[in-house]
Amino acid sequence: MNYIPISDKDKKEMFDSIGVKDTQELLSLQIPETLRVKKLNLDKGMSEQELISLFKQYAQKNKSNLACFRGAGIYDHFVPSIVDEIIGRSEFWTAYTPYQAEASQGTLQAIFEYQSVICELTGMECSNASMYDGATAVAEALLLAVRASRKNKIILSKALNPEYISVIETYTKNLNIEIIKIDIDSKTGAINKENLSGMLDESVAAVIVQSPNFFGTIEDMQELSKTAKDKKALFVAVVNPVSLGLLKTPGEYGADIAVGEGQVFGNQMYLGGSTFGFMAVTKALEWKMPGRIVGQTVDKDGKRGFVLTLQSREQHIRREKATSNICTNAALNSFAACVYAAYLGSQGIKELSETNISKARYAFDKIKNIKGFVPLFENSLFFNEFVFKTDKNIDKINEELMKENILGPLDLGKIDSKYKNCVMFAVTEKRTKQEIDKLAEILTRV
Amino acid sequence: MYPLGSCTMKHNPLVNEKIAKFEEFSSIHPYQNEESMQGSLEIMYELQKDLCEISGMDYFTLQPAAGAHGEYTGLLIIAQYFKNKNEKRTKIIVPDSAHGTNPASAALSGFEIVSLKSDENGIVSPEKLKEVLNSDVAAMMMTNPNTLGVFEKNIEEISKLIHDNGSLLYYDGANLNAVMGIVRPADIGFDVMHINLHKTFSTPHGGGGPGSGPVGVKAFLKECLPSPVVIKEDNKFKLYFNDGKKSIGRMKAFYGNFPVILKACAYIKSLGGEGLTQASKQAVINANYILSKLKSKVKVPAGNSCMHEFAMSLKGALGGDIKTLDVAKRLLDNGYYAPTIYFPLIVEEAMMIEPTETESKQTLDEFIETLLNIIEESKTNPEVVHNAPVNTSVKRLNEVEAARKPKLHW
Repeated sequence: MNYIPISDKDKKEMFDSIGVKDTQELLSLQIPETLRVKKLNLDKGMSEQELISLFKQYAQKNKSNLACFRGAGIYDHFVPSIVDEIIGRSEFWTAYTPYQAEASQGTLQAIFEYQSVICELTGMECSNASMYDGATAVAEALLLAVRASRKNKIILSKALNPEYISVIETYTKNLNIEIIKIDIDSKTGAINKENLSGMLDESVAAVIVQSPNFFGTIEDMQELSKTAKDKKALFVAVVNPVSLGLLKTPGEYGADIAVGEGQVFGNQMYLGGSTFGFMAVTKALEWKMPGRIVGQTVDKDGKRGFVLTLQSREQHIRREKATSNICTNAALNSFAACVYAAYLGSQGIKELSETNISKARYAFDKIKNIKGFVPLFENSLFFNEFVFKTDKNIDKINEELMKENILGPLDLGKIDSKYKNCVMFAVTEKRTKQEIDKLAEILTRV
Repeated sequence: MYPLGSCTMKHNPLVNEKIAKFEEFSSIHPYQNEESMQGSLEIMYELQKDLCEISGMDYFTLQPAAGAHGEYTGLLIIAQYFKNKNEKRTKIIVPDSAHGTNPASAALSGFEIVSLKSDENGIVSPEKLKEVLNSDVAAMMMTNPNTLGVFEKNIEEISKLIHDNGSLLYYDGANLNAVMGIVRPADIGFDVMHINLHKTFSTPHGGGGPGSGPVGVKAFLKECLPSPVVIKEDNKFKLYFNDGKKSIGRMKAFYGNFPVILKACAYIKSLGGEGLTQASKQAVINANYILSKLKSKVKVPAGNSCMHEFAMSLKGALGGDIKTLDVAKRLLDNGYYAPTIYFPLIVEEAMMIEPTETESKQTLDEFIETLLNIIEESKTNPEVVHNAPVNTSVKRLNEVEAARKPKLHW
């Protein structure tokens, strides 16, 4: 299959118009013969039937549709049918970047609605059109903070998702930025305000804290934000939208930048991508934000319409002086989140939060009663994820769970040797009581 | 039809969408053990392998999430390479015809940008290059064919100059659709490149993402690649992590935009080597066909032939005070998306046209006729062109007001 709708007769007419006899002659007008490749050494093309059959074979080599108790940044939430139905419309799915506003009102309004949803959720004043994922959103938030404050020292929590920390390290590698990591308290699993206070001085550009943090613990964002701002540092909140149905919003505790991973809203796990990252800021930082932004305006008859705006921040105008190099982002994934949020509504999102927290609590209590499992943080206030220390063989546990189509907890020792013998469980609204009971039963017997 | 320059918009095959929706792919958690996601890893491995063959590069990472993210990855790899060699090089040469992401990515990677003026034919001149080459130069970024749609025919000489200087050559793969099976970037001297799967390999744009920007390198840069990449060992597929000190680290969480990777892999498997070559050749024929019908009416800085796209200048071709922007808006009235305009920056009143291979001759003929009619209309009935669009859901929008008093949410 090659999807070319041109006949030999068409081609002949085209060559006549161009004034060449064949492709060979046409190409020779542009490319020296010595630079040409003979042929590509790839397999022969396939029919649609062959292609489907090949990919079914690949599919069968995956172990899928497991009862998932693993999180650490990507979570198994339910995606309502309406999400795929709406974002799957070709007007959204195959459309180009909305550079021509008058012919792209659908995409532009979708982004505007998305930005509005993010502002509502986070309590912030301005959202951009999306970033690639949570990790890159945090890294770009850091760069934004450095740019806005003209200071180059950053304090970040050691309980920030380790994948995010790696991305931050890559992004800041060749820039003159100093990163200081702050420990979490071994009892609560959260950052201690006094610790932060001791590390802060007015040379710090920003403090970056995730809540719920990587280990699932809810941080005292109000206090941490205040502590940071007392020393004139910007406060960057890394948050999980699912938790915002219950927890205070970044806007309420005075965050300057709110970022996070958006997969949890309406996007399937897909091996960790594609997802999207969100970024929202205060009005003061609006012009410093990276990425595309859609604004509302009017057409020449005064009718409401939408355009890409504040574009003089961006690479296609400002080139090397742009606020970021980002161009293509994750429009469709962020639109999925917008549809998801609209479908649930604010009451639905609150109930979603509550269901996550109560199911996680149920699972936590069950596991706590199993011999060989002790909570890593005895006084942790957690959302939908928590850590246990265990003297059992973790590989064996996960092997046994897999036999029952359960994706068991994450072996934290494989992420960081400091957490050897620790397992982290994520429990979303999708997990049933039966699944949690089954999990507990297997944990008991292994 | 999307006759866009510089952003390949081709048919998005439905079968690829169907496959990508299989729950066996969509429900996989990234931290499942490798044993339980062999199918997904195999697809990634296959794509890495096929992209190597298409580009001539030795290794690929599929982690970058978009073209600009790929550029950024490539430039960090270049910085890392010199760091590993203990060599200090601070500058990147970027031709003035380059995409805006090129200098922006270089700046983000900590480099200074040296802008290189194109010669009168819109290509890089080896003579001018010599003037800016020195021991500070880490690399030069090139798009080939360039943004005028012209193949940089001095590439061998340029490559020699760059490499004799101890610098590297970066290939912006935005225009790869012109040369699949015709020229391989690695064979003509490029050391690092990115590919836009959402352009060349037919995955849908989604109104601005998700994309995917895999980066390929020659063997000597392997250790600098981000982690993880997929390898095959004892017939099993594994995630391989590079040495943390020599690699650039990690560009995003996890492994890449999987559904985009899968669709690109399916596209390559459907077309095969021959089909990909035919696709590029037809893209070149289609662009030249449109060029042949327009060249008597407009100025084409590149001349009489092009690769898969061309940039033209509408200066002097239009009536009264009608601008390229007006022509673009009038195209919307006629049911076409407007081509990229005012880019490349080196062409006055620029309009770029890239038809791609999946348009029929009938569509191309209708488009040509429409464009010629609009040029005529700009002289006979300029008001209509100036007031366009009128057939869209809104008329021309007030962008100045939008930026002056930003209203960014409800």
